Formats: sequence, C-alpha cells, structure tokens
Amino acid sequence: MCIRRLFNIPSVCLYFEVHQPIRLKRFSVFSIGSEANPYDTYFDHELNRNIFYRVAKKCYLPTNELLYELISKYNGKFKVSYSLTGTFIELCEKHFPDVISSFMKLRKTGCVDFLDETYYHSLSSLYDNLTEFERQVKMHRDMMKEKFDYTPSVFRNTEAIYDNRIAKKVKEIGYKGIITEGTEKILGWRSPNYLYKPAKSNIKVLLRNYPLSDDIGFRFSAKGWSGYPLTADKFAAWVSQSPGDIINIFIDYETFGEHQWSDTGIFGFLRHLPDELLKYSNVDFITPAEAVKRYEPVGEIDVPFAISWADMARDVSTWLGNDMQRDAFNELKSLEEPLMRKANPELLLHVWRLLQCSDHLYYQCTKGLADGDVHQYFNPYDSPYEGFINYMNIIQDLKQRAYR
Amino acid sequence: MRGGGRVEKSMALKVAMIGWEYPPHKVGGLGTHCYGLTRSLADMGVSIDFYMPHADKIKTDKDNLTFKGIGEEIFPYDTVNLGGDFFERVNRYNELCVKEIQKNSYGLLHCHDWLTINAGIMLKKKLNIPLVLTIHSTEYDRSGWLNSNQWFIDIEKKGMENADKIIAVSYYTRKILMKKYGVPKEKIRVIHNAVTPIGEGGKKLKIVLFMGRLTIQKGPEFFIRAAKKVLEAEDCLFVVAGAGDMLPQLVDLAVNLGISNRVMFTGKLTDEELHHIYRIAQVYVLPSVSEPFGITALEALSAGTPIIVSKSSGVSEILKTCLRVDFWDIDEMANKIVTLLRYAPLRKELAKHAKEEIKFFTWDLCARKTFDVYKEVV
Repeated sequence: MCIRRLFNIPSVCLYFEVHQPIRLKRFSVFSIGSEANPYDTYFDHELNRNIFYRVAKKCYLPTNELLYELISKYNGKFKVSYSLTGTFIELCEKHFPDVISSFMKLRKTGCVDFLDETYYHSLSSLYDNLTEFERQVKMHRDMMKEKFDYTPSVFRNTEAIYDNRIAKKVKEIGYKGIITEGTEKILGWRSPNYLYKPAKSNIKVLLRNYPLSDDIGFRFSAKGWSGYPLTADKFAAWVSQSPGDIINIFIDYETFGEHQWSDTGIFGFLRHLPDELLKYSNVDFITPAEAVKRYEPVGEIDVPFAISWADMARDVSTWLGNDMQRDAFNELKSLEEPLMRKANPELLLHVWRLLQCSDHLYYQCTKGLADGDVHQYFNPYDSPYEGFINYMNIIQDLKQRAYR
Repeated sequence: MRGGGRVEKSMALKVAMIGWEYPPHKVGGLGTHCYGLTRSLADMGVSIDFYMPHADKIKTDKDNLTFKGIGEEIFPYDTVNLGGDFFERVNRYNELCVKEIQKNSYGLLHCHDWLTINAGIMLKKKLNIPLVLTIHSTEYDRSGWLNSNQWFIDIEKKGMENADKIIAVSYYTRKILMKKYGVPKEKIRVIHNAVTPIGEGGKKLKIVLFMGRLTIQKGPEFFIRAAKKVLEAEDCLFVVAGAGDMLPQLVDLAVNLGISNRVMFTGKLTDEELHHIYRIAQVYVLPSVSEPFGITALEALSAGTPIIVSKSSGVSEILKTCLRVDFWDIDEMANKIVTLLRYAPLRKELAKHAKEEIKFFTWDLCARKTFDVYKEVV
C-alpha cells in the first residue's frame, strides 16, 4: 500500500493536448484528376499559416513562457505534460519555428513529460487491422526522439479514443501507460482518480477527471455556471477535497488564450494555480510517466467498444456518427492498399495520412444542440455538408492518383 | 402551448385583410403565405374577411374566414409589361376595397405588399384603426437590384411610413427595409414563412430542378449556366418549371450552350405536377438574385429533395439543412450540384435532417407570431 494513499494525498497531473490540423483548400469536383502537386493543391498553406500565427501568439508562446516561469519558480515542485501532434510540429517548422524552441526550453527544465500518439492525430486505431496505426505511432516516437531527444513512456490516442484492442496494441508497442476518458460508461460507480488496467492486457490506464477538466476547458468563462467565476483558490479547494491517488486534469492547450480568451482571466488563473494547489500540504504535481511508476491499478476496465473524450456521447460518433463521415472514412481507408503498392509512394502516403487527421471528419459532424455549437465554432466550413463535399472531392482526386 | 388566454382575446378581433393572391388564384409565395396564415389565424379564433380581386373559386370551410371578391382583374407578377391600364386597374381595385371595407366594422387592417397599400392607408385614416403591412418583396428584389422603378419604391415607402407595424418575411428583408426605405428597426417584426409539407414519394431521378417565375429576380440564367458546367461532369436532366418574360431568352441560352437536349422547360405547372416534380428531383436549386424568403426551398425539402439556395435569400438565414451559394458563382453552384448527384450519403444526410428541421416551419407558428404583432397595435 502506497503511503500517499494511506493518508489520501492526491497528486495532480496537468496534461495538455497540443494539436493543429493541416486545413484543406477549397477543392471543387471539377479539379478532380489534376496533375499538380497534391500537397500544395489540397492544403491551404496561407490559411494554415494565418491560423498558426494567431494561435502561437495568443496561446502557445505566452502559455509556454508562463509555464516556464512557474516551473523555475517552484523548483521542481510544479510539473506539466504535453502531447504534440506531428501535424502541429510540421506547422511549427513551416511557419513558426520559435514555437518548437520554446517547447524545447520547457523540456530542458526536467519538469515536463511528453506523451506519444499517432503522428497524424488520426483515427487509424479504428481501422480493421492496426498496422497503419502502429506505423503512425512509431513515426511520432521517431519525431519525439529527433526533435526533443525524448522517449515517452505513456500513450494518448487521438482524442483519447480507447478500447480493449487499442490498449493491447499500445502495450505491445511498449508503453507503460495509456490515457483515456474517466467516463461512467466504463467506470460505473468507480472513481477516475485511480489507475486501472484493461480487461485482457497489462498496461496502466490513466483516466481523465472530466468534471474538473471541463471546469477549466469549457466552463471557465460561462457566466451561467454556478462555479463562475472560477478562481485558482476555488479550484484548488475542489481538487484537494477529491479523494483518490491522482487527479488527471487533461485539457486542450488552446484553452489558454484561444478557446478562453486572455480577457477571461485564464492566464491569471493558471499563474496562481500552482501556488493555490501547493498550499494544501496533501497535494503534489505528477507527470504521467511518474504516475505509472508510483501507482498500481485498483481495478479492471472492460471496453469492448471505443470511447473517447469528445462530446457528450464520449464515443466515436463525433467523427463517424453519420453516413457522410462513415462513407468518407471508408473511402480513405480503402486507399491504403493501392498506395502501398505504388513505386514511390512517399509524397502520396504523407498526403493520405494528413487527410486522416480526425479534424477533417469532425467538421462533418451533424450533431445538434450543445455539441453542435462547439463544432460550429471550430468549423472552417459553412456547414458539415460543405465539409464533406470538400473532403470527399479531395479523396476522389487522391483515389485517382492512387490507381494511376 | 402558451395559448391559455389567447383564445378569448383573439375571438374579439376582426381583421380586414387585403390581398390579391389566394389559391387557386396564385402565382407566388404571397398567395401561399396568405393561405397558410389566414387558415391558422382562423383556427386561433381570429375573424378574417379576406378581400380579393376575385374570390369565386376560393372555397372556405371555416366560419370565421370569409372571402370577398371586389370585381377587378389584376395579375401583377405574370408580366413586367405594366403598360395598358394596369395602374388604373390597381387604383380601381384599391378604391373599390375602400368602398367595400368601410361598410363593415373591423379592429385591424392587414395589407400585403405595395399593391393594396393605398387602400390600407385610406381606410386607416377613415376608420381610425391600426394598419399592419407584410412585406413579401420589395421593388429592389423584384428588379434584381437593376433599374428599380421609383414609382413602386415610393408607394412602398409611403405604405411603410403609414403602417403601425411592418412584418418582414426575413432578416434579409428587414435589412433592406431599414437601409433602403429608412424604416426604424423597432417598427419591423421578422416572421419567417412556413410550409405545408408535400411529403416524399416516387422514385428519385437524376433531375435538377428550378421552380419559379422566369424573371431576373429568380436567377434562372445562372441555373442554365451552371447546368452547362455540370453536364461536363455528370449526365442529368435540368428542369425549369415556371413561366415568365425571360422564357425565350433562356431557351436561346440553352440552345447556344448546346445543352437544349438536357434542359426541359415545362411552363407553369399544376399543383399536382409540381408535387410530383419536387418528389422525383434529386436536387433543387434556388439561385435568386434577391429572395426575401423562398418558400419553394422549404417545399422541395418537405418532398425529400436536398436544396442549394442563394445566399441572398431569407430561407438561407434560418435553414441548417441546405447548401448555400452566391447566385453568381456558377462554378460553385455546379460543384454542389455534381457532388449532390454523385455522393449518395450527402443526399441521405441532408434529407434525414431536413425531415426534422422542416417541422419547425409551421403556419400555426407564423400565425401565432402574426397575432402577437396584432396585439401590439390593437
């Protein structure tokens, strides 16, 4: 029995997903069959640069700076973790290399852990066999080694998509831990504030505490919410009262300055958070890599059908919930075989994989009500239908190239 | 339903509504609107005398909805040939309306568009009762923003100034009323049109449908030009349903573009024919240059047909289940037509969600909101 558990001392794991898709150009059905370079024909470099600049200035650079300051101030007591997608790194390199240096600076503090995922932030974990998934995981691993000289020991799949099969494969590839959503669908009455193990394999599963995570990620500036305004001391009090081993606060990095604009006070909140949390003698900060070393699973979770941290449904319906999405997904999947058979497939394979980025299917989501509003906010298209038309036109063009 | 106190209050109200279209005497959305609106208002207990140039063919099954033919023939939309004695007839109709209506006692006057507005203004002064004016289209819309006729604009403006409240069929129209006619925002209430669902049925064919008057406002030329582009990629049939002054010019255009064997001009269709073509078409396009609402788009949706609508339309501002285009963007219009024809899941998703969304567009709702406007002025 771990001494911390005996005294109910929760550790706080702050983890951020850092991702940007490489967005598409408007591609008409009449452009299908062209000979031009697919990378430049499909992807809107100017749009991507503009968005990346904006988010880098509003979020990545100031937040990295603030976290660096806090890490230095607390002398090893304050820790954070990231996963950086391959598409994000490519956008950094193409448009704003300073952002990579700024993450490198954080990595050198020794108080930052990085996770692996699929390089392309794809849905390849849902393919009929997991060969392509494994390739993309290794690509991410190689990228982390090359750019940051770091080998992650914990894995987080695209949008925390998880099932028994994925857990087993991730274990096989060699990871010690995997992250997913702490939803009642898999936990029932049990608490997300402990480590679990999958039904048929032996890997440690870290579960996102979604009420506390969403308090920051979604509700922070919601004036109608009973917790508004959310202050660091209020949040720290909630955390300290949460029983368990580890409180996993997993959120989009763009929460800082982009989803929650600077004038909401989100940076002030982050600045004071370590101080307020460390005021409680029972609280400390931990990274996923440390967590899987320190804690043992308290139980088993059996997840035969994929879950995720997206939307209210917490499943994969965000990307594959309607006929358009399923049709596009199947078309895309079917290109693996012809592309692999080609003589020099590198460029086409890269393009194919960039198209696998889950965001392109997310834009085609037709779910209404609360979820739909979030979708519309991030959607570069007038409607999900337009998202489908554009994406499908591009896939049809790639399909012709694959069989050419 | 928040209708508890509504009934006894609406019982007391007697409305003189002055129109000029009502099924089966109907050429456009105004007639459809008057039909749906008056029947729902009557169900709510409002008594309506509906004044028309001719009312012989109109049947009513409601005690509190009566039709009164004045005895003057006018067809303002079928032709832009406004020569002859058209204006005299309009004047005569308005005068006759005044004469007839003042014989009875009403609590409120409700006019539709410019054609009946003079009667409304005169009666308002004579009877000292409030006037509500619904704007279904302005001269700017009808002229496609080209060579607008100042005579119509002046009379529309006069009507808007004299009305106690104005109902606009969309925010799109409200904006025009504010910008071009100087109407203050507080005076305008936006009430979107509705649809009586046609329902699905029949086997879908590769038909792309245009339905509307063949006038510059409705943008049929853009439809034909998009057809040319579509036919480069996909074989299908284009149906142009409707009559109007542009017909010869459009036929010429189709011939010159070499697509006359793929474009069919049907002329004006009966209701039955219309429902059939709505049902068997695979795509409906509303390419209007300026469309205050666009009820036909809702009709197509209600028949299970996906729609592409002009961004310059009222219907595009409220509908989620549609594809939007700029009316002049032929390439994008063609892109959307081809993808709709080609990608079955796209049609399926649109049809599925349309079925849900169409339920929000009921004449009962339109009537309730109209009655709220009545309450404001009575």
